[in-house]
Amino acid sequence: MTGLRIVPSRLWALLRPRQWDRDIDDEIAAHLAEATDEYVRQGLSLEDATAAARRSFGGVTQTKEVCRQVSSFMWLEDLARDLSYALRALRHSPAFVVAAAATLALAISTNTAMFSALDAVLLRPLPYRSPEQLAMVWTEDPTQNVREGRSALWDVEQWRSQSQSFADMATFDAVSTTLTGTEGAEQIVGASISPNLFSLLGIQPVQGRSFSTEEAEQRQRLVLISHRFWQARFGGSNDAIGATLELDGLPFQIIGVLPVGFQIAKLDADVWKPHTASEDRDSARSVRGGDTWFVVGRLRPAVTVAQAQVEMSAIARRLNDQLPAAERNRGISIVPLSVHMVGTESRLALWMLGGAVFLVLLIAAANVGSLSLARSVSRAREMAVRSALGASAGRIVRQLVTESILLALVSGLTGALLGVAGIRLIRTFGPGNLPRLTEMSLDLRVLGWTLAISLLAGILVGAAPAVATVRRSPSRYREEGGRSVSGGASARRIRRTLVVTEFALAIVLLVGAGLLVRSWWSVNNVDPGFRPERVLVMELSSPTNLSVPAQRIDLYHRTLEQIDAVPGVEDAGIIGDLFIANNREQSLTVERNDGAVSERMRLRRDEVSPDFFKAMGTPLLRGRFFSIGDGLDAPPVAIINDAMARQVWPGQDPVGKRLQLGPRDSNRPWYTVVGVVADMRRQGPEREPVPQMFESMAQSPPRSVDIVVRTSSPDPLMLAAALRTAVRRAEKNAPIYGIAPLEQQLGTYLAQRRFETSLLSGFSVVALLMAAVGIYGLMQFSIATRTREIGLRMAIGAQAGDIFRMIIGEGLALSLTGVALGLLGAWSLGRAGSSLVFGVTTSDPLTFTAVSLLLTAVATAACVFPARRATRVDPVVALRMT
Amino acid sequence: MTPDKSDVLYGTLGLLVIKTLEALGPLHGYRIARRIEQISGDQLTLNQGTLYPALLKLEQLGWIASKWGKSESGRRVRIYSLTRAGRKQLQREEADWQRAASIVERFLKISEGAS
Repeated sequence: MTGLRIVPSRLWALLRPRQWDRDIDDEIAAHLAEATDEYVRQGLSLEDATAAARRSFGGVTQTKEVCRQVSSFMWLEDLARDLSYALRALRHSPAFVVAAAATLALAISTNTAMFSALDAVLLRPLPYRSPEQLAMVWTEDPTQNVREGRSALWDVEQWRSQSQSFADMATFDAVSTTLTGTEGAEQIVGASISPNLFSLLGIQPVQGRSFSTEEAEQRQRLVLISHRFWQARFGGSNDAIGATLELDGLPFQIIGVLPVGFQIAKLDADVWKPHTASEDRDSARSVRGGDTWFVVGRLRPAVTVAQAQVEMSAIARRLNDQLPAAERNRGISIVPLSVHMVGTESRLALWMLGGAVFLVLLIAAANVGSLSLARSVSRAREMAVRSALGASAGRIVRQLVTESILLALVSGLTGALLGVAGIRLIRTFGPGNLPRLTEMSLDLRVLGWTLAISLLAGILVGAAPAVATVRRSPSRYREEGGRSVSGGASARRIRRTLVVTEFALAIVLLVGAGLLVRSWWSVNNVDPGFRPERVLVMELSSPTNLSVPAQRIDLYHRTLEQIDAVPGVEDAGIIGDLFIANNREQSLTVERNDGAVSERMRLRRDEVSPDFFKAMGTPLLRGRFFSIGDGLDAPPVAIINDAMARQVWPGQDPVGKRLQLGPRDSNRPWYTVVGVVADMRRQGPEREPVPQMFESMAQSPPRSVDIVVRTSSPDPLMLAAALRTAVRRAEKNAPIYGIAPLEQQLGTYLAQRRFETSLLSGFSVVALLMAAVGIYGLMQFSIATRTREIGLRMAIGAQAGDIFRMIIGEGLALSLTGVALGLLGAWSLGRAGSSLVFGVTTSDPLTFTAVSLLLTAVATAACVFPARRATRVDPVVALRMT
Repeated sequence: MTPDKSDVLYGTLGLLVIKTLEALGPLHGYRIARRIEQISGDQLTLNQGTLYPALLKLEQLGWIASKWGKSESGRRVRIYSLTRAGRKQLQREEADWQRAASIVERFLKISEGAS
């Protein structure tokens, strides 16, 4: 291995020429001085001694020149020779090159695409000024298990004035906004923000300006628009600045355009207005009431998140002391913005996928390494000749490594090109909940990674034949008499190790994929508490002029009547908001068998129409549904879900019991529970249902609602046009939007899981195929080199069946070793990934067994062909092969 | 390293260097040069400068190693020592030389007999 030691010293000369020159100068000067000393001791004068020393040394400059040549030129020369030789060698075995390059290119391209995704989502800094200083500030309530709750403006103002760790804090929230214009009403995403948000983030509008605190306080109706909106509505023209937009029936003046792709946290809105622009915000200021704001803060320089957390916890305790008992127990939790953007689970999933493709790369490298080892054994004669001609082992190793690195670079180039396609695929089919996934591209960073893994693959591929070559000294080759090329005993040992490694890695991937597939299956078999098939969901906003509840009740009533009349509609119902994004907690006073108690709990409240549950297909467990009679004049009634019944009235019948929102002494109305329905998983199938309470829509009609329509058509979207017409017949100014099948909407909850599951399954299938090819190649090779041995066995009486069993047994032994090691690895890795599975444990025995059986079966199948070939060995021919 | 013509000279010199280092242990360049001259009974007048490219090459081959140190007179000098690979190489080369020498000797005897 001397060749490897040369590289650093030469690199040193190449990289640090000046230092290298100084060293040589110093050494020669010391030599001359020592020589001069000796001549002086012999009695010469200093002058003569110096001259004599120079004479016996010879030309100083010439010496230096020769030294420089030795140190650098040879290196380049050798490299050039290695390269041209490698090219020649590779050209002579095109089949090997194509197989190896295709395998490596496949692995490298998946790694490139995956790294690009990791880079875009996790590694690249967020597009704000000093993004590491930004953090989300949440209100937490440990007693309610709320870690990341929104905060009241009152709290935020206290925090801003008291905190030393934060330079500033800003608030924001999404508001559903109706844009009215010449083409009719349209629903767009709006953002309501505090005026300091942009300056806190360090964001400048690309056109126009932002609003000032004064303007916000004067409640001026100003708005900034997104770049996307600017392009779509104004064609990117400067006329946009100063133009007026009618939002929720009020005129707003456009004063600025935000940069491309600007968003904060997960809020990506088209219009951004000051939070003072909407009414009924001031009322929230005085009390710590409706918690509705997201808060982002900028830490002062050099303040860590941990320090800020300590300070904010102290502030939270101080604030609690000033508040009534029911409002206490609040804490504050600080989460770095980057962590908030991509949750820990998504992070884990992305790293898991990144690790998985890396394993695929290792398997590919093992496979190609094993191939090139087989090739190196058949080239043993060539190597022996080279060695006999004076090439050192190091030189030959370098030759082999040059070949494999050249191979890997070709694969890397192909892989990068394929990677572009992979990137496009992920960008198109990636889950929507991963921020910035659309920004992934093949940039220099990604290309750098591609180059790095290509080189790594090259070294790994070259290592196996190199080790085998070093172990097989030329003298042994001579002793073996040249014919016993089969002698590659050490090569076979290395190949066995490689195959076992491939199997172990493949098992890890397969177990991971198996667990995700099982999770996918359980997620899709969770009873959501409703039947989503054949159901269409759409959103409806009531026109802003319908301010009296009775008017809205009337609108919804008429709308449902029109929808019910559409042919193909079975049931139609209305709910305030079908999907749950955030649960507020609530004080609640309930009557139990033994009297009234107050408590705080996380509770979801919605208003529903009488037929809502029928349209959803949610079963009634007790009591009754709402009826037409539960109107404004009737006593308030409520339906609760099973989770709430269990939590509030454990072991009692809730029907007929009363409850009141707010603490005991408040004078808010009492609701009578009239029914209990099954739990609906309205936060996606993976989340446990929360306590839910339903009020009659005819008693408190919301401003915008979701309409749920159960149709008789297997493709409910066929009815979309008819439904649109029906709604317009009821009220032409009510915008209806977001018509989609319920199954499709539920699908978005599963998008990330689908992404993970399909990618990991794909990777593991590739791994499985590579492992199969690996063991197939090894067995073919092993039989080809053992023809004599097999012939001998047959000559002394072995039957074809014995030979067949021997070969299959050998393959099985290898694959089982790999499987055992892999299962061990999968089992220990599994614990880290337990948050990624659903409905199974990460040591699920079924998955482990199934995957082991699968891999063993594939391995056996891959050995059948070589084994059959072995049985056809003709002993006479084989024994003559000497 | 593939030897070429200029290497032959270095190769011989290299053998002398590693033999010297084997016999005397770590030495700096001037000491190596003097030692070679002394052993050869001053029959071999070495152009001392040619020693340094040879040392460099031996180091690249991994047969010797070097580090900065102090000479007996306290000067900062590079001190060379034999590595394990170098020791093995020395054994090989000694054997090769002896074999080569004996072959040449036999040839000489044959030509004597023929004359």
